[in-house]
Amino acid sequence: MASVTIRDLRKSYGSTPVLHGVSIDIADGEFVALVGPSGCGKSTLLRMIAGLEEAGEGEIRIGGRLVNDVPPKDRDIAMVFQNYALYPHMTVARNLGFALTLKGVDRVEIAARVARAAEVLGLSALLDRRPGQLSGGQRQRVAMGRAIVRNPLLFLFDEPLSNLDAKLRVQMRAEIKALHQRLRTSAIYVTHDQIEAMTMADRIVVMRDGRVEQAGAPLDLYDRPANRFVAGFIGSPAMNFLSGRIAVNGGASFHLDGGGPSLPLAAVPPGAHGRPAVLGLRPEHALIDPEAEAALEVTVVEPTGSETQVVGQLAGQPFVGVFRERVAARPGDVLPLRLPPAAAHLFDAGDGQRLV
Amino acid sequence: MTDATRAAAAPLLARIGAWPGRVRPPRWRRHRIGLHAAALALLLAVLFPFGWMVQMALRPPGEVLDGALLFQPTLENFAALWQGHFPKSFLNSVLVSSLSTAASLALGVPAAYVLTRWRFRGRGRVALWILATRMAPPIALTIPFFLAYRWVGLQDSVVGLALIHMTFNISIVVWFMQTFFAAIPRSLEEAAWIDGCGVWQAFRRVTLPLAAPGLAATAVFCFIFSWNDFFFALILTRTSAVTAPVAITNFLQYEGWEWGKIAAAGTLVMLPVLAFTLLVRKYLVRGLTAGGLKD
Ligand SMILES: Nc1ncnc2c1ncn2[C@@H]1O[C@H](COP(=O)(O)OP(=O)(O)OP(=O)(O)O)[C@@H](O)[C@H]1O
Ligand SMILES: [Mg+2]
Repeated sequence: MASVTIRDLRKSYGSTPVLHGVSIDIADGEFVALVGPSGCGKSTLLRMIAGLEEAGEGEIRIGGRLVNDVPPKDRDIAMVFQNYALYPHMTVARNLGFALTLKGVDRVEIAARVARAAEVLGLSALLDRRPGQLSGGQRQRVAMGRAIVRNPLLFLFDEPLSNLDAKLRVQMRAEIKALHQRLRTSAIYVTHDQIEAMTMADRIVVMRDGRVEQAGAPLDLYDRPANRFVAGFIGSPAMNFLSGRIAVNGGASFHLDGGGPSLPLAAVPPGAHGRPAVLGLRPEHALIDPEAEAALEVTVVEPTGSETQVVGQLAGQPFVGVFRERVAARPGDVLPLRLPPAAAHLFDAGDGQRLV
Repeated sequence: MTDATRAAAAPLLARIGAWPGRVRPPRWRRHRIGLHAAALALLLAVLFPFGWMVQMALRPPGEVLDGALLFQPTLENFAALWQGHFPKSFLNSVLVSSLSTAASLALGVPAAYVLTRWRFRGRGRVALWILATRMAPPIALTIPFFLAYRWVGLQDSVVGLALIHMTFNISIVVWFMQTFFAAIPRSLEEAAWIDGCGVWQAFRRVTLPLAAPGLAATAVFCFIFSWNDFFFALILTRTSAVTAPVAITNFLQYEGWEWGKIAAAGTLVMLPVLAFTLLVRKYLVRGLTAGGLKD
């Protein structure tokens, strides 16, 4: 177990910069999810922590030790690769025990630890097979097992669940979480599935284009996204963004660009009257209210059983609402919506930073 | 089914792919029979000279050139070979080929690995120059080799000849092994590093075992190239390091050609090539990396 400190890490491939000064602190025993769109540098960052990619500028410390120039074998970390990377010429048992064999652990002990890990992951019956004789889900678990037999300082996961079917994914998610609660080893978990990040992580780091956009507890990110990008990235379906202007005369309100009724606001920054801005509202916070003035022109209704998703236009701007009740609306109908001011987020129209 | 109903049903059956009795086999099948016949004819044409040589080797020495189809097979020609210098030459051939193969692998495999995995300036050029050594016509090299060897005292020695063979085998090793190493996913080595291997250990415990079939095939090619060399052996050996192919020419004498011995020696020289070719086939078709990565 160890803390990890990353300070102002930069990396370029040739003349293409990939990381522009990333700083992250991970406490001892913390489970951190690293999320962001494809190509934002998540794998690169993880590989630099593992020592597979030469450190550019900046510092990486694991358990207080500066590891920039330490080869991977001496970093005492375990990694689950995006593509598993199992040794095809070794049996499952040898795959699991390889790191221990290298350390010179004695054979009886290796067998015991491999058996224990196999038990936890449901691989006991497969120990004599080779990776080529396993299903995708089984391979995934072997990759996981190879990491957990070792008892390392730090776990690195690079989208380990990305090619499992939905059910297995949910199951493995719970298993990884339980595993972490038992072992309490610090972990960095890369994913671009934000549900995975929300449900598993103690803290989420959102990256975009080689920068950290925001880091915080999952619900903090959900409740108070620092900017429009994070707001749109965390939460599913994604937050609605309505552009318009802030007006302050008596109470504060928001005038949508497409006209229509003005929406009351809970708080605005000082001197905001007339300022163009973007109002963010999560689909699940919109309420159907016959008294309300905002009108959603329905284009698509998607009932999923537990909830109903309604897609449409609000004052000419796209808007999605998710409702717990069954909505009998049909395309072409107009749905009166109340947008609670307390649930609304205000972002700058230009740089997308949060206003209040 | 009566003939009438069969006739009526034929178009339908043809469409759904079921064939009523007495219908000609499908076209791809007829096609295959033709292919097989052609392959067989080609095989016979290619094998005929070899078969001819083997039957010559098995005839009694007096009637080697007899056209008679029936004869009493005998090993007399082989026995005669055993009496002379041929066993020594055969042993020389084995030694030269093994030595040069081992040396080319020892030098070429690490070189190929580095050329595949490490990005450094001029990498492509280095690889090309290594290949270029194989392109030079042997005759361009023999005279310098001959003079240099006379100077350092390596002429007519097994080690000397093995060294020469190594020079042209290294390029084979480097180029073959580059392909095999490139086919092994880098992330397997990275996983090994993270599991606690150094660069060398990862190579030895992960990369090399996965490249083993390719390594075996490459070794066999080296062995055969060295085994088949006639030119360098002819010029750089005199008596003590003479190899089997050169020794055969000693049976072409002024007083007459010893056809029986030539055929017997030719048969013996061909055997290892045959054996190794079968081996290499087995190794080349085997894939080892299946299942390591998700696809
Ligand atoms: N070896 C390389 N050479 C040049 N560019 C690279 C190399 N590896 C990655 N990149 C670039 O670096 C950027 C970050 O890549 P990275 O693999 O870290 O993304 P990622 O966030 O893991 O994406 P994904 O979610 O798709 O896995 C990408 O734009 C990619 O094109
Ligand atoms: Mg990635």
